[in-house]
Amino acid sequence: MKTTKVSFQINNENVTLEVRPYETLLETLRERLVLTGAKEACGMGACGACTVIVNGIPLRSCLVLTPEVEGADITTIEGLRENGNLHPLQEAFMEKGAVQCGFCTSGMIMTAKALLDRNKKPTKKEIVRTISSNICRCTGYKKIVEAVEEAARKTM
Amino acid sequence: MKDDLNIVGKRVVRSDSLAKVTGEARYTADLQFPNMLVAKVLRSPYPHARIAGIDVSGALKVPGVKAAISGFDSYGVKWGVFRYTQDHAMLHTDKVRYIGEDIAAVAAVDEETAIEALSHIKVDYEPLPAVYDPIESMEDGAPQIHDQYKNNINVHIHIDVGEVDKAMEKAFLVREDTFKAAGEAYAMMEPYAVVASYKNGYLDLYMPNAGPHVRAKALSNMLKLPLNRVRIRHINSGGAFGGRSEVAPGDLVASLLAIKSGRPVKLVLSREENAKSSRQVHDIIATIKTGMKKDGTILAKDYKVIYDGGAYSSTGPIATSIPFYVYEECYRFPNVRYNGYRVFTNKGIRGMYGCHGRAFLAGNEAQMDVMAKELGLDPMDVRLKNGLRPGEVTATKSKITSCGLKETILAAAEKTNFKKRWAKPSKLKGVGMGCVAIMCGFPMGFRSGSSCYVKINDDGQVTLVTGLVDNGQGNESMVIQVASEVLGVPMKDINLVCADTEVTNLDPGAYSQAAAFVGANAVRVACENARKQVVSIAAEKLGVKEADIGLKDGSAYSMKDPDKKMPISWVVREAFFRGEPIVATGSFFPNIDFEREWVTRPWGQMAGTFSFGTSVAEIDIDAETGRITIPRFTSAHDCGRAINPMAVEGQMEGSIQQAGVAAITEGNLWDKGHLLNPDLLEYKVPLACDMPDMDTIIISSRDPAGPFGAKEGGLTVRMNAYSAVACALTNATGELFTELPLTPDKVMKILERKKGVK
Repeated sequence: MKTTKVSFQINNENVTLEVRPYETLLETLRERLVLTGAKEACGMGACGACTVIVNGIPLRSCLVLTPEVEGADITTIEGLRENGNLHPLQEAFMEKGAVQCGFCTSGMIMTAKALLDRNKKPTKKEIVRTISSNICRCTGYKKIVEAVEEAARKTM
Repeated sequence: MKDDLNIVGKRVVRSDSLAKVTGEARYTADLQFPNMLVAKVLRSPYPHARIAGIDVSGALKVPGVKAAISGFDSYGVKWGVFRYTQDHAMLHTDKVRYIGEDIAAVAAVDEETAIEALSHIKVDYEPLPAVYDPIESMEDGAPQIHDQYKNNINVHIHIDVGEVDKAMEKAFLVREDTFKAAGEAYAMMEPYAVVASYKNGYLDLYMPNAGPHVRAKALSNMLKLPLNRVRIRHINSGGAFGGRSEVAPGDLVASLLAIKSGRPVKLVLSREENAKSSRQVHDIIATIKTGMKKDGTILAKDYKVIYDGGAYSSTGPIATSIPFYVYEECYRFPNVRYNGYRVFTNKGIRGMYGCHGRAFLAGNEAQMDVMAKELGLDPMDVRLKNGLRPGEVTATKSKITSCGLKETILAAAEKTNFKKRWAKPSKLKGVGMGCVAIMCGFPMGFRSGSSCYVKINDDGQVTLVTGLVDNGQGNESMVIQVASEVLGVPMKDINLVCADTEVTNLDPGAYSQAAAFVGANAVRVACENARKQVVSIAAEKLGVKEADIGLKDGSAYSMKDPDKKMPISWVVREAFFRGEPIVATGSFFPNIDFEREWVTRPWGQMAGTFSFGTSVAEIDIDAETGRITIPRFTSAHDCGRAINPMAVEGQMEGSIQQAGVAAITEGNLWDKGHLLNPDLLEYKVPLACDMPDMDTIIISSRDPAGPFGAKEGGLTVRMNAYSAVACALTNATGELFTELPLTPDKVMKILERKKGVK
């Protein structure tokens, strides 16, 4: 089978892989790199469960082809801890009860992280608008919004 | 109320959340085993067709294909929850009954190969006339979907209490209305997935499921394997909402492929396959006739409810009954007749849903408001007047023990200034109230109870073993919290082994709201039994009376002289020395009338206890577009006692989303046998920006039999939130809804109807 070579940085590690030209980033992450935190829930960019951060931008990895991320800097949920410590968003999601079944959680946290990275003091409205890119079926979103607000306070 | 509890009742961080925020929590599709194959399923393109033949040999010739199967490779055993509903073989060889039905499957070394191999399977279909509308399906001459069910009537539930016709004659006001609702999609975030492997005669399976024990039993029947040879393992579940209660076709498919190939097999459904071919929710048509006295007392109810049951029985008798029961568990009906018909159509399999029955429940509540208005009464007062109270017995003879219905009504009304606002709605703004009660567990024979095994290890850490299931609602954390309270051991020092049929005991699973009342109760009893052993040794060692021993933070201490204390680990080591390690079991079996049967004997005690709840929705209607917005939503829920209030709130908030906001957005759309919106772009799950400001109020009625007084934690909102929205529409427009969801097109029709009246 025809493959193509691609190199990128993932969670601060450099990798070079031979991938199929039509392979999605989500497939590469989950199947080749065994980074299964990103989930496939819809496969068409509707739900955000597969969100990872590529060059500072939250992307739906099910819509990105791996050859497109040549040279990119990618962060997944597995790369969020720093020196073994949880990211403030991870702590806040736990403390505020923003996690139920957990299937949307990785994507939701990555979407929120990209927001906090570009806007340290988001308003509640901005938080609601941003996380409206991701579907959660369990929580009604209230505790997710509270968790992002709490994490923003903590990272100030 | 005074509270001397340390952990129960506190807003604790859920035990499962660390793995979930780090991405380490494993779900079925995340599993990888050496030599694992990828499975794909061939599905029926026809809504109804006779199968003249299936030939999978072509698929086997494709390089990389390791197994190919159809129903001819199975025993053809038909599954049904009840003996009289055994009609689903999962892989049929004679007929297909809906578009997307599983026909055959392959397992190959990779996905591309598996997909290619499917195109080499030959199926000879002879298309048959199909029927999609349940009313047409009941007519003489309609295409017969199963030979054994006349007029395609799968289940008829007939309940008749008192003298309905006479009472209707006596009533001051009688009203009859018909309400419809489209079935919703479960839309659990995790599409169905299964991993099966077969080694040394043992079949091991992972899949998101709400009850591993009942699933193992079904598979053992279908595969003709002894029950102990089918082991369903614990795995995280990305949501269920009632859609993962039963054995699924994919369970059988993956099992057969694993047995044939001798290798582990993974089958992951796409979102669209999940919507078309796993479980769907019933579309419902409810005709509701109510007779009321002048003072608002309900004298009689007469119901005819038609459930579009799709192609197979699934949980038929239960699904045909539950909407009625959750309503009769809430209000006093001296005379009531219920005729529930579940009718087959050529659509997907329909099962129970957390929000099941919205046409019936919202219809009842909205009609009550219209009648109250006509009588010059306030709908809150009418609900209080007819609402059941502690000690009362329902129409079908279930005794109500703890009951905070009144408190939920008053709390939700006060918070929203309901009475005043309802009496004077401003233009196209309305407020509406919905009430309901929920059974905590229901009759499931010997599976209705739960038991737990607990051991305390030599480091003082605790291991709990229970059949309890968590589909995301927090049941695992809940029982750890209960054990922590009883044993005085921090939650982080308690390990849980659950939902693994090899090691855990029977449990009702996570589909009858039994986890807190039944499952956690068994854990409580087991831990109390272990506690007695710890206390006995500690009292002896510390030289104090057993009654004076307390357990806290991993230590046993004298409550009179707290300086006298010892770690529980020392107690455990002493117990080992004596050859009597600290191990205990505990069970809980709810007080249910087991003579009760859904069809033949629909009366007797339904459940050990009932939860109660009231929701109030506030809505605005845009006159030009018909679009409804919901600025604020208030729900009050009597959960007996909240073991973790944060988790209960989360259940309530999620229910406001999944039932309340869904009432204006969610519904499956059909063109004959084609589901038009099987994905998450066309099917509108509410987003954060669609959510109202939410107030959740927890009412604590302290159930006498519940663990620390607890009952189920939030399902009432799932079954009254749409009622609140429907009632708010009536308040805003003066008109009853006719069909859910209340999308702009339907709201415009209501507004036009209103103008026409003027």
